[in-house]
Amino acid sequence: MKTNSKNSTLMAWLLVLPALIIFLLMILYPFVNSIFISFTNKNLIFPKNDFIGFENYVKLLKDPNTIPLIWTTFKFVFFSTLCPFTLGLIWAILMNEKFKGSQFMRGLTLVNWIIPGIAIGFLWNWIFNGDYGILNALFNKLGIIDSNVIWLAGKQTSLIAVVTARTWQMFPWYMAFIMGALQGVPKELCEASRIDGANNIKVFHHVIIPSIKPVLMLILILGAISNLQHFDLINVMTNGGPERATSTFAIEVYKKAFKEYNLGRAAALGVIWAILLGGFSWVYLRNLKEEN
Amino acid sequence: MFQKTLAFKIFFWTFIILIGFFAFFPQLWMISTSLKPDAEMYKITFFQNFNLSNIIRILNNSDFLGYLRNGFSVAIISSVISTTVSALAGYSFSKFRFKGRKQVMAIILISQAFPQGLLLVSLYPMLQQVGMIDKFSSIILAYVALTLPIGTWTLKAYFDQIPNSIMEAACIDGASDLTIMSKIVMPLAYPGMTTIAIYSFVWAWNDLLYALTLISTTAKRTLASGMIFTFTGEGGNDWIGMMAASVIASIPVAIMFIFLQKFFVAGMTAGAVKG
Repeated sequence: MKTNSKNSTLMAWLLVLPALIIFLLMILYPFVNSIFISFTNKNLIFPKNDFIGFENYVKLLKDPNTIPLIWTTFKFVFFSTLCPFTLGLIWAILMNEKFKGSQFMRGLTLVNWIIPGIAIGFLWNWIFNGDYGILNALFNKLGIIDSNVIWLAGKQTSLIAVVTARTWQMFPWYMAFIMGALQGVPKELCEASRIDGANNIKVFHHVIIPSIKPVLMLILILGAISNLQHFDLINVMTNGGPERATSTFAIEVYKKAFKEYNLGRAAALGVIWAILLGGFSWVYLRNLKEEN
Repeated sequence: MFQKTLAFKIFFWTFIILIGFFAFFPQLWMISTSLKPDAEMYKITFFQNFNLSNIIRILNNSDFLGYLRNGFSVAIISSVISTTVSALAGYSFSKFRFKGRKQVMAIILISQAFPQGLLLVSLYPMLQQVGMIDKFSSIILAYVALTLPIGTWTLKAYFDQIPNSIMEAACIDGASDLTIMSKIVMPLAYPGMTTIAIYSFVWAWNDLLYALTLISTTAKRTLASGMIFTFTGEGGNDWIGMMAASVIASIPVAIMFIFLQKFFVAGMTAGAVKG
């Protein structure tokens, strides 16, 4: 509105100031400072704080757990993004049909996403419980398994359990975005291609998908970023175990810093994590720019 | 959008049953377990005997009540501060043009991708130095900081939709910058501010990582971190208690959400896409 008057500029900065101070103190400074810490042997218990160059990074490169950590993180992010995305897309198409009770159902689905991660973790631990869990009871009855699976103790099955819980929590979020995008699909285009003889699949493929594609791309990237950050469910359900089978960067950095008290090593690991996240965010920003 | 062919009907009914079961059965299972009498804990029964004794047991636990109280206070204070601070910044970004504006906005957006665990590696010793570890102020500040980026960007998008002509008209009538902001523009953005208030409340209410790290005394724990400590070790087999606590922890956000769903979903999706 106003461009040049000195008073306006002063007021503009005054309004931004509280946000800026909190942001600088609680986010930007800690972030930059963590990069410095990654070059030290800073420890939470011992008063060490010496510059040690790249030693933390070299140790991480030599650590046999580093490559599995990246691989586990990749698997978790990949499946925890794609599974809820797919369910969210299908569910959005169903809820978009506006049948009786669809509004109520949509609201009820979103409850999964809003409730605390700790409650979701507890719930799925109970469902996946090896001895008394409902899932084993159900699978036994259906004849899918003939003896109880100890889901959370198996290397493969614990990841399946965590991804399932994350899918349950997040697919309503993807649904909400996709439903928003479906509102914007031009009805005339659907009609026109139908007159040209297109069936449902063709309309979906040639009209609906292209017009909601920008939103689909955005939520895939945003979803991947949030999964790369995700801590709660894994911490509650498996704590990274068994034998690190579900240990992602979020879990590992937390453990290195606050269980082993090795801040320097945790920071180095965190910097690698930040670079991965930076890559995704760059794609996100580029996508945004193209859209505008 | 789709023709109701036989194939579409099959698709519709298959997935409404499959995904519906996946979405809703666990919700019901949580509630059903929380209402079981102790003797039924390991039996596969579904809403057979209603029994409130475990809900009452959890609600009578003075530690748990403390977690609830702390959780509420922290979430409400964080929400109020975050909404206020975001609204002021969002207003400035939307209605003023000044040097450095774009850069500040960009860095705030990018900070979303800073790993939260990495921030803690610095925050912990920093807050320790100023004596803020194990104080509510530390987690409140952290929650405000972590919800600021989304808050600022979403509210900026809201203010962008309010035409400048309204403000210019008021300006001609002799209203000051401050009056224009507080009396004319802010009230028009209440829906957006409600969205951010809920968003920050839910963030603080649900957070585990920061509460787990920055708070160490039982009496000061908030909901999620308190629940972890209650139900590890010996409490780890108290499934009815865990489900009862989970239901109690979920009710406030679920109710708030059901009432304000319209605001919230529209606000969040608009903010993230336009942002």
